[in-house]
Parts: sequence; structure tokens; C-alpha cells
Amino acid sequence: MSDEPRDATATATADAENEVSGGLADQWASFRDREISTVLLTLVAVAVFPFLFNNYLDGYTQLATLMLIYGIFAIGFDILLGYTGLLSFGHAVFFGGAAYAAGIFSASVSSSPLLVLLAGLVFAVLMAWIVGFLSLRRGGIYFAILTLTFGQMSFYLAASPLAFLTNGENGFTSVDIGHLLGVVDLHGGVPFPLSMLVDNMVYVFVAVITVLSVAMANRILHSPYGTVFRAIRENESRAEFVGLNVWRYKLMAFIISAAFAGIAGSLFAIEGSYVPLESLYWTESGRIVIMTVLGGVGSLFGPLFGAGLYLYIENIVSGFPTLGPFWHLILGLVFVVMVVLFPDGIWGGVQYVRSRLFGGEES
Amino acid sequence: MTVLETERLTKQFGGLTAVDEVDLAIEQGEGVSLIGPNGAGKSTFINLVTRRLDPSYGEILFKGDSIVGMEPHQVVQLGMSKSFQTASIFPELTVEENAVIAALAAEHGSFRFNFFRHENAYPEVTRVADEVLKSVGLYDERESQADSLDYGNKRRLEIGIALAAEPDMLLMDEPTAGMSPEETKSTVELIKEVKRELDLTFLLVEHDMEIVFDISDRIVVLNRGAVIAEGTPEEVQNDPAVQEAYLGGVEE
Repeated sequence: MSDEPRDATATATADAENEVSGGLADQWASFRDREISTVLLTLVAVAVFPFLFNNYLDGYTQLATLMLIYGIFAIGFDILLGYTGLLSFGHAVFFGGAAYAAGIFSASVSSSPLLVLLAGLVFAVLMAWIVGFLSLRRGGIYFAILTLTFGQMSFYLAASPLAFLTNGENGFTSVDIGHLLGVVDLHGGVPFPLSMLVDNMVYVFVAVITVLSVAMANRILHSPYGTVFRAIRENESRAEFVGLNVWRYKLMAFIISAAFAGIAGSLFAIEGSYVPLESLYWTESGRIVIMTVLGGVGSLFGPLFGAGLYLYIENIVSGFPTLGPFWHLILGLVFVVMVVLFPDGIWGGVQYVRSRLFGGEES
Repeated sequence: MTVLETERLTKQFGGLTAVDEVDLAIEQGEGVSLIGPNGAGKSTFINLVTRRLDPSYGEILFKGDSIVGMEPHQVVQLGMSKSFQTASIFPELTVEENAVIAALAAEHGSFRFNFFRHENAYPEVTRVADEVLKSVGLYDERESQADSLDYGNKRRLEIGIALAAEPDMLLMDEPTAGMSPEETKSTVELIKEVKRELDLTFLLVEHDMEIVFDISDRIVVLNRGAVIAEGTPEEVQNDPAVQEAYLGGVEE
């Protein structure tokens, strides 16, 4: 690639950012560059990912799409677990809840993908406000149990009392996704230049949202919130005694992580045109914990890799001839090995190898 | 102006009265030390004033307003900062980030809705943090992880965090506990310097009599939760009740 188009993109994005953040451009020029390089890196990665995945790793585009969806979920979850130090065991409420909200919205209000996405996002944020408000009164294990309880409550609510809305145990089947902006058929093919890389429009849509999510998460972690969240993780009582309203920041961490879960849940409904009841079950909450820890808590990109590896073992390794039936065992072994060898997850391992090879340091 | 005032402040734990009807007033710019034998109720008193504990009864006024019923962070936002007995820092963050957190809280208040603003949009916060690090002599170490500092420097950082909140009054709970003689000396210098430069009002809880007599304008002696003596270092030193309860046997 020549330098010219790349520079043009960088300048355009930089200008857009200037408008958002106002003046002071000179002072953070160097940081802005890093922010942009993070976004560009993600863009390139998601663009070439399906091609490499399908050709060299026995993958298929639908699974690549799911990996990105769970990656968004895990990135948000890590803001809560890795950065703020709060372990929620009920994030299925926000993922599954948003998927249902998006599905029902698409069937009864509007089938525009962007509005459907927004509906799921808003639902997750409102739910997080309520669940967070009630659960964050307690810390540690009590918080985990409370969130688990809310998760299971929503599962049983969706299973029967609300079955007239959710279609109960059969899952919500009437998801109706229209054309993006009235033009692009999400379940259709991809026009020529892109078709060399991807064969599916849903993937393109999910990939764009993934890049935006990474950009948002990156910005949040580099805002005052990022520092405050880590301060709460490190020493909650000290954070209170420098004059921070720890309780409200914790609630914000919870809501922000749920917003990412909401985006992921909506995309899940859009991608599959179906919402299974299991998306609210506690195992879904457990999966996201494992994905995040596997990828590396407290890093921006780690959770994406964790989600990818988990789904790879669940969907590809499970199809291997002899090993296949034992995929749960393999997943467990991988998890144990990772936690023992690389307590900071895949991303921690990548950092370690990189610092060994190049001697450079990265945050 | 009276910065901090308590009226009949009392804390009972079951049958035990840890703090017993304490009346105390601290004026602007005054350096007051609270001393007393172990279990005299010094730490409980500090915890009441910083709103970590609820008093059984009594009143606490900060700059004329009652702070009973406030959350700890609200009291800090009013201008009362606290340095802890142990090095209460943010261990896995850098030294600079430690100070930034306190500066953020001072500049932005207890909560702000700014999670989409890049932190570099707030140069003032970094400036305050750097200034504080310079004043506690840790500026050169700002890139290190706070955990890697030695104990004396951790305590200095801890005091720095308390100062970065730009307080009107600083509560210090044994700031030199566990320090070597040199570290103690430099910390005492630091406190004196900060008091002189910022006209800081402080309330100090300390065991080391040398320090107490060195830096206090006034000394309050607690025993069994109650104030038994109060005055300048000389007065307190010569008070028979104090010698009886606390300094007893020590020849001065």
C-alpha cells in the first residue's frame, strides 16, 4: 500500500476528532497518532481475517462473524472485569436481553439494521442501570451471585411468563432484518473489490461495528474513566478518599460494559436472524468470563483473541476426527495451561514473546 | 477561622466508649497533634472525622458546616484530605498515575460524565500531578510502578496523593510509621515545608514524641477516649495528668 491514501484517511479522522474534542490539538498530537494506529490496525486485521481464517485454519465466514460479535462482548466485559476489577456472572442478561430486544424490535417496529442495533443497545443500558444499581451495593462474591441471580431471573422470565413476547423455549424466530440504509442487503453477497477478502455482507457490517467498538473502548480507556477504573480496582478505599464517587464510577463501568454486550447481542440477533433462549442462560455469562480471562484481562485486544480461541475450539476443534468429541476437555486444558503459563492471557503471552524478541515495551 | 470543630463527639462500640464527648477546634493554619497511649481512641477519632465511621452522637463541623451524614468522598471534596497509616497507594499504576487520580478528583469533582474525552484534553490535571510529585520529591520516579518504590517513598507518595487533592486540611495517621530514621527526618521536613508553603492546617496522629514536639503548634492528649490535656508542646510536656497517663516514667 502506498503512503498517500493512508495519510488521507489519517488526516480525515484526525479532523473529525478535533471537532469532537475541541482545540488542544498540538498537545496530544502524538497520542492521537496512537489512537489512529490502533483503529487502523484493527481495520486491517478484521479485513484480512476471514480470508486467512477460511483458507488456513479450516474456518468459515459465519464463525468469523460470531468471533467478532463475542469479541465486542468480551472487550466490554473486560472494562468491568479487567479494568475495574468487578466480576459479573450475569452479563447474559445484557447480551441475550439485547438480542431479544433487537429481535422483537425488528419484527414489530422497524427492520432497519441500525435502528435494531440501537434498540438492543438502549435496552442493555437501561437493564444495566437497574441491575447495576441493585447489585453494586455489594462487593466481591456477593456481587457475582447477585448478578448471576438477575441473569437466571431473566432466563426464566423469557422462558415462560414472557413467552408471548419471546416465543419461549423455541427462541425468537421472527427476526426480520431489512436492508442497511434501505440499500445494502446484509444477507447478500459482497461487491467486487471487497469480495476478494470477504464473501458475506453481514461480516462486513459486523466488522465495521467491531472497529467502531474497539475505537470507543480505546477512547474510554484513555479518558479519565480509564484511570479512575484502574484506581478502583487497585485500591477502592483510597479512591474514595481522594474524593471520587466510587459508587457512581462503578455503576458507569457496569453500564459501559453492558452497552458493549448490548451491541454484541443485537449483532447476534441480526447475524443469525434468530434468538435462542440459551442466550440468556447462565452458561452464556460463564462463557464470556472464560473468553475474557483466556484472552487477557486488563488489555484492549486480549478479549478479542480469547473469544476467537474459545469459539475455534468449540466449533472447529469439536469437528476434528478423534479429538472432536473431547473439545470440552481440550478447552479446559487450554484454559488451565494458559492460566498457569500466561496469567495475563493470550495477550500477555504475546507481549511476553514480543518483549523477548524485540526488547521493546508496550502498554 | 475554625476549620474543624467537634462537639461532644462520641463513638461507642457495644459497651466500649472509644471516643468520649470530644470537643476539639482547629484553626486555619494550625498544626495540631493528637497523642495518647494505645487504644486511646485516636484512630477512631480520625475515622469519625473522615466519615469512615458514624458517630454514636455529637457533631462534626468542617468550615462551619455539619459533615455528619456525608459520604467520605464528599468530605474530601469539601477540602479535607487524609493520609493513611499504611502506604495506601495504587500499587500497579505508575507513580504519576497515582498523583493524576488525586488531581482528577480535585479538578473534576467526585464524578463527571466524560468517558469519551481523551485524558490529554485535561492538561491541568497532569500539571497539578507533576507539581505534587515535585514537592514530595518523586518526580524523577514518575514512570515507575508505584509498587516498586521503597517503603519510605511509598509513604511520601501516599502523602502526595493526599496533597494532590489540594486540601484545606490534612489528616495524617502516623505518617512516619515504619520509616527509617532518615526517611522519618525527610518526611518531617516535607510536612513542615508543605505547611509553610501552603499554609496547611493539619491534624496529626503520631507516636513519635520527637516529631510531635517538633512540628505541632498545639497538642491534644487523649486517654480512654477523652481529652485529658491540651496546649502547646511545653504545657503538655509539663502537665502532670499527661505524665501520669502517657509519659509516665519517661524523664524529659
